[in-house]
Amino acid sequence: MAHRRFAELVLPHLDDAYGLARWLTGSGTDAEDVVQDACMRALASLESATIERPRAWLLTIVRNAAFTWLAKNRPKAVLLTDDAQLLEAAAAKSPGGAADPEEALIAAADAAALESAIQALPHLFREVVVMRDINGLSYRDIAAAVGAPVGTVMSRLGRGRALLIERLGGSR
Amino acid sequence: MTDPQGADRALLLQAALDGELDAAGMIEVEARLAADPALAAEYARLVALRDAIRARAPRPKAPDALHARVIVMAHPADRKPTAAAPYRPVWGNAGYRALAASLALGIAVGAGVYAAFAPAPGGDKVERAVVAGYIRGRLAGQPVDVATSDRHAVKPWLAGKVAGATTVVDLQADGFSLVGGRVDVIGTVPVATLIYQRREHQIALSELPAAPDAASSEPRRVTRDGYALLEWSDAGRRYVAVSDLPAPELDAFAAAFRRAAAAEREEPPKP
Repeated sequence: MAHRRFAELVLPHLDDAYGLARWLTGSGTDAEDVVQDACMRALASLESATIERPRAWLLTIVRNAAFTWLAKNRPKAVLLTDDAQLLEAAAAKSPGGAADPEEALIAAADAAALESAIQALPHLFREVVVMRDINGLSYRDIAAAVGAPVGTVMSRLGRGRALLIERLGGSR
Repeated sequence: MTDPQGADRALLLQAALDGELDAAGMIEVEARLAADPALAAEYARLVALRDAIRARAPRPKAPDALHARVIVMAHPADRKPTAAAPYRPVWGNAGYRALAASLALGIAVGAGVYAAFAPAPGGDKVERAVVAGYIRGRLAGQPVDVATSDRHAVKPWLAGKVAGATTVVDLQADGFSLVGGRVDVIGTVPVATLIYQRREHQIALSELPAAPDAASSEPRRVTRDGYALLEWSDAGRRYVAVSDLPAPELDAFAAAFRRAAAAEREEPPKP
């Protein structure tokens, strides 16, 4: 029965799961490992979990599996500094509104530019941006997935997007 | 980020952008945007970024081999003949489809039985339910269960949940972008609803099985609770579109959709 439920809950969201893992690890083969690990965790937790929204549930497991995987295999990618430090560092780097990034340039950014800009974000910013704008999760779901308050998710999103706007908007 | 005012402002813009504000909060933001050109420019950049990411950031699909491995996880026992070779790519596509079909069968059969035995929902009830679904989607700020602009992703997602195949067409060239899909329940019948977007307006298009002898019909305009509805039938399916778009634009949407759907029926697109 658990296997039946697993198929119903997990398979429809496998592309989403893989997409998130791909963004978080930056590599297709690593993403496959992470998703497979996440699916095994999902299968194991099916018995005990009450699952209201399967998609958010699976993506949370994928995010955590990716985090564990990165911490083990690429510890430098996962900056474990606290938010205050990270946000300050990000703010210090910004030019302070000297040049106005151009909306038209941002709107015209192509897939490759978007990909490299998003990949260049610090991990903690990238995961919230991807979960929000690519996976379409709500603040509440993202907060639950990353284990941080909604306010923290919002400020990470805000900084992450500000960095993307700077990069894509022409003030490079 | 030195002044707390600026930080608060930035957070407020994020929440407005992400549809996480209630109506009162949204009104406040709109008033601030109208009064402050710099803030409005910042918001416009955020919108441009979000739209660019949604429209063009890569959304990689899970490789067939991964699909296959996960399906084997789901069905460890009944894969005896092929269990030795689940990793072979040849196994991937066809095998996956067959399996996925059998997995979906349970759901689809359930949905089909409902569709066959539930009384055909009357017109008025359908319209009310479609409008209610539309309003709920807008209020919740989460109008779709599966958010993707890729019609090849929406269709299989819906296939496991509603009876019959849903027509999903790409109308980007006509100025309507696909946001995603969801399942609405009308009476007891699960129904596929697609969400398309034009500017800040959304169009919810529900597809229902029509009566077996129903002929195709031209779009008919109805207004309900202030929303414009458009209903038509094609190829044995009934369509109900609802939107807060002006009626002529909704007409244009229906025309574009019917044209694309007819083209797809004539000649199935190559994968």
